[in-house]
Amino acid sequence: MLPLILPVVLPLLAAFLVMPLARMSALIARALGPIVLTTSLVLLLPCCLDPPAQPLVLAIGNFAPPLGIVFYGDRLALLFANAVALFFLLFWDWRGGNPQQARQDALMLLLAASATGLALSGDLFNLYVFYELAAVASFGLVSLSGTGPALVATVRYLLVSAFGSVLALAGIALLYLQTGTLNLAQLGIDPEPLQGPAGLLAFGLMVIGFGVKAELFPLNYWVPEVYASAPARISALLAGLISKLAVLILLRLLVLVYGDTAAPQILLFLGILTIFFGEFSAWRAQDFPRMIAFSSIGQLGLVFIAFSLSGSWGVLAGIAVALHHLLVKSALFGLAHRWSGSLQALTGSAQRTPLAAALFVLFALSLIGVPPLPGFWTKILVLAGLAQEGSALAFTGLGAILLVTAVEAHYLFRFALQLYEKVENAPAGFRSFWEFLPSLLLGAALLAVTLRINPVADRLRAITQQAADRSFYITQVFPQAAAHRKDQP
Amino acid sequence: MNALDLLFLLSGATLLCALLFGRTRWAAPLLLLGYAAQFVALLQTNALFGEPISLSWSLVVLDQPMHWRYDALSWFFALITLGAGFLSTGYGSGVWMRDYERAGHSAGVLHTALAANVFSMVLLVGAEDFLSLFLGWELLNWATFFLMALRGGIAARAALRYLGYAFTGGMAILGAMALLYAQAGSLEFQPIRESLPQMSDGQLWVLLALLGSGFGIKMGLLPFHLWQAPAYAETPGPGSAFFSAVSARMGLYAMLVFFVGMVGLARLVQMEIPYTFLNGRDLLAWIAVFTIIFPTYTALQQQDARYLLAWHGIGQGGYMVLGVLVGTAEGSAGGLLHIFNHAITQVALLMAVFAVLYRTGTTDLNRLGGLVARMPLTFLTLLFGIISLAGLPPMAGFVSKLLVYRALLFEGMPLLFVGAIIGTLGTILSVYKLIHNIFLGQLRLEHESVQEAPLSMLIPMLSLSLLIFLAGYFPGPTLSWVAAVQAQLGLPVVNYHLGGVYDAHGGFNMIWIVSVLLAGFGIGALVFFGLGGPSKRVHQLDNYAGGHFLYAENRYQYSDHFYAGLMHLIGPWYRGSFQWLERALGSIVDFLAHFTNGFYGIAQPLLWSLAAVLGIAVWVF
Repeated sequence: MLPLILPVVLPLLAAFLVMPLARMSALIARALGPIVLTTSLVLLLPCCLDPPAQPLVLAIGNFAPPLGIVFYGDRLALLFANAVALFFLLFWDWRGGNPQQARQDALMLLLAASATGLALSGDLFNLYVFYELAAVASFGLVSLSGTGPALVATVRYLLVSAFGSVLALAGIALLYLQTGTLNLAQLGIDPEPLQGPAGLLAFGLMVIGFGVKAELFPLNYWVPEVYASAPARISALLAGLISKLAVLILLRLLVLVYGDTAAPQILLFLGILTIFFGEFSAWRAQDFPRMIAFSSIGQLGLVFIAFSLSGSWGVLAGIAVALHHLLVKSALFGLAHRWSGSLQALTGSAQRTPLAAALFVLFALSLIGVPPLPGFWTKILVLAGLAQEGSALAFTGLGAILLVTAVEAHYLFRFALQLYEKVENAPAGFRSFWEFLPSLLLGAALLAVTLRINPVADRLRAITQQAADRSFYITQVFPQAAAHRKDQP
Repeated sequence: MNALDLLFLLSGATLLCALLFGRTRWAAPLLLLGYAAQFVALLQTNALFGEPISLSWSLVVLDQPMHWRYDALSWFFALITLGAGFLSTGYGSGVWMRDYERAGHSAGVLHTALAANVFSMVLLVGAEDFLSLFLGWELLNWATFFLMALRGGIAARAALRYLGYAFTGGMAILGAMALLYAQAGSLEFQPIRESLPQMSDGQLWVLLALLGSGFGIKMGLLPFHLWQAPAYAETPGPGSAFFSAVSARMGLYAMLVFFVGMVGLARLVQMEIPYTFLNGRDLLAWIAVFTIIFPTYTALQQQDARYLLAWHGIGQGGYMVLGVLVGTAEGSAGGLLHIFNHAITQVALLMAVFAVLYRTGTTDLNRLGGLVARMPLTFLTLLFGIISLAGLPPMAGFVSKLLVYRALLFEGMPLLFVGAIIGTLGTILSVYKLIHNIFLGQLRLEHESVQEAPLSMLIPMLSLSLLIFLAGYFPGPTLSWVAAVQAQLGLPVVNYHLGGVYDAHGGFNMIWIVSVLLAGFGIGALVFFGLGGPSKRVHQLDNYAGGHFLYAENRYQYSDHFYAGLMHLIGPWYRGSFQWLERALGSIVDFLAHFTNGFYGIAQPLLWSLAAVLGIAVWVF
């Protein structure tokens, strides 16, 4: 049970310890974060590489599920928990030298703890708490530089997050009113009261509310501002990882409660708007972080569209798109570290740093789905799913995806050509490849997945099989309730 | 390991060689060897006259099998690809490449891009399911983009424009694939072929629109043709020649596979367009005719030899589609044969023009002239090429066009025939402008010391010229390939012989036609020389115009504003045709981008959350 509890508790404890420790010894304080995260990774990695047949379920303090706090670690949750530890290590501020180093480390650890909690919690109330915790930590991280634009962006982000949280909370309250429980498994046992209008409204409110972090239309205009002004590492984590964890909450709700209702239509509709607004805005973006921020919005629209597909196909497609985007977008933000200026100023960057430019081309190709890169397979899963769906809205989604992908290809490669343009006085860019090592590693991972696409697909199927199975989730958390339910005619 | 495995392996190895050794001294011989080896492997497959041959390896990704198989159609296209790859590499291997490197470009990158194009085409034409087709298609698109963008500047802008078109086309194909998968439950050709008859006309029209535009963009069919001429013309010499031979034809290959091989012409004829006299086949045929006419007359206007030829490349594609769509043995033979004949013609022409560029530094038709005295062999290549391009005897282009014309007439399609003839008229006018402005007339002072093209460029040019003549004199061998392709596609098979075809109207024999023509020239020569050959060598500048003698010091320029009279008549008809469509689409994207950006400029969290909640509440209740 340790892999479930320690990756949440350790970073949380460490987050509070960093500041006091820093007064005693800066070195220990610096080392604390990496040590804690590495420990989490060591604990989680075996569960992810060689997953147990049964998910890990933990009722904290041995309070039986509906009462206590439940952690549920199936393959999907463990994968994401693992990704949290891994990506936080990748995008950790290894260079240091920041005057507010201790504060930054503490906030990073807080974000890591809450992100792991988001992946593992099996209870809406806890999820909300972790979600808020993540929000608070990210406000701190985003405004860390203390510059004017960063502060303005943070205030906007804070405001919109606050509205989102209110909506999500309203949704959760509505859910509680209807059922009297917030445990996901218990909600899943008897979803019928929630499948009426009130339940759907609750879902809609939660979609909008949690959608703030998931960059969902319409509460996503904080995205470009924040990502353009925050440190690139933080943007990488927020855009790549945290956004996916917010989606994970909605996925659980969708599978357990709302699978058979019209709820996926909300996701599909908002997903189409998200992808449309994101990609078209990126067309006119003037600087690199904003361009990939808008593109990130578009990609999350694709994630939402994928999850709206019915049955396990949707879960598979959604997870595949989400993981692909996690990998690619984090890596692109890893490049934004030095390429933060306007697009025009980056003209000819390939001359000094050909490797970084090549990486950009690789990620761009995968992002728009050029075979045989993984992005192609994820995209074709979504498209085939939409075509099978057959409704008018699904065909609209199909058309929208194809259209915006063409737009996306155009703006990404307009920039790629600019990178390769021959100019006098090429911009300096990266000093050495150490500066974009995370992107380099992620690029290698992308190529590895390309070559080993079938094993990866099998692994994803196994994950999907667990994640898309409602009764499996319920039986794991409530063995007795499921047995009881079987007895009923 | 069978011959097809070997072909794929060799193609990959050639690409690898280009990547590793492209910048070394032995790159050219190594690559030539690579292409030659692929050629031998292709012959070994015996896919043309023998049984289709499958690749030993296949892939299964996400439960979708991907396999490759060579049949007669694949063989035919692979032959043209490899031939063009070989000749272009040979052309660009010697002094041309040294010059190119001296200008600050990388030979290795050019070799790699070319080899990548060949590799992806070899992959593409073997596709036996939509996944492998799309894989080949996208690889080809990006390899093409890579080769186009190499020179930077104008070329990069043209390449980006190409990418905009090509990627949108790719997305249309992907959309069609999703629909086909939903209908047939598979992306393999066989299940799709079986499920097509069950589809309604409406569904087929959607597929026709998506795949037709997706493939048509590559082909440069109207109205998706605007990208092609600048992109092909601005590519470095060998790449440009290679592209014009075969790149756009990959769109035709895919169209043949789907529309002719799977849907079938008979089904296209059944697909009536409501409230018109047209059906699916007529629609495509008219698109083909307009693809002949508009680009050809745009070519007539061009002032740059490369652009002029590139525009013709688009127009000539129309004859191929038109011929195939007629559907008779003769018509489809003409269309298919024109793929080969046009490839050899266009490669020879572009090589000649790039040889002129190499020697004089320009292809501007207003800054050349009189080069026949300095580059006679290049002139000869261009002469053979333009006769073939215009579809005149005795060259190869005549045979294929004659077949198409005859089919159109005998099948009762006089309007389409007239359209094709109008196109040919434009071709004749513009190729005359081409040869006149480069080679005839007055030699310019700055070109006094120009020399004949170097041997490494002349060898491919002259061998192609010979091929153009032989393929016109004895069309039998090429017709035998075409007949095999027809059988493969399920089209009626042409009844050919060494000199031409037999058909219900008697057919024709090129051996007779060309022999009579040559005899005519022979008699003329006999008469001329029999009279003692009354000729007097004068200096090229010893000339007169309008009754006035012109001496070397009186420079005159009559290549500028060529066809002034004709342009006075038809000039007003050119109104940037189809530019408006592209601009409108660009403006729409820009407008939408403005609109969405505007949304992100309004930071009103309260407003948007309220609106969202209201929207959801309305939707729920």
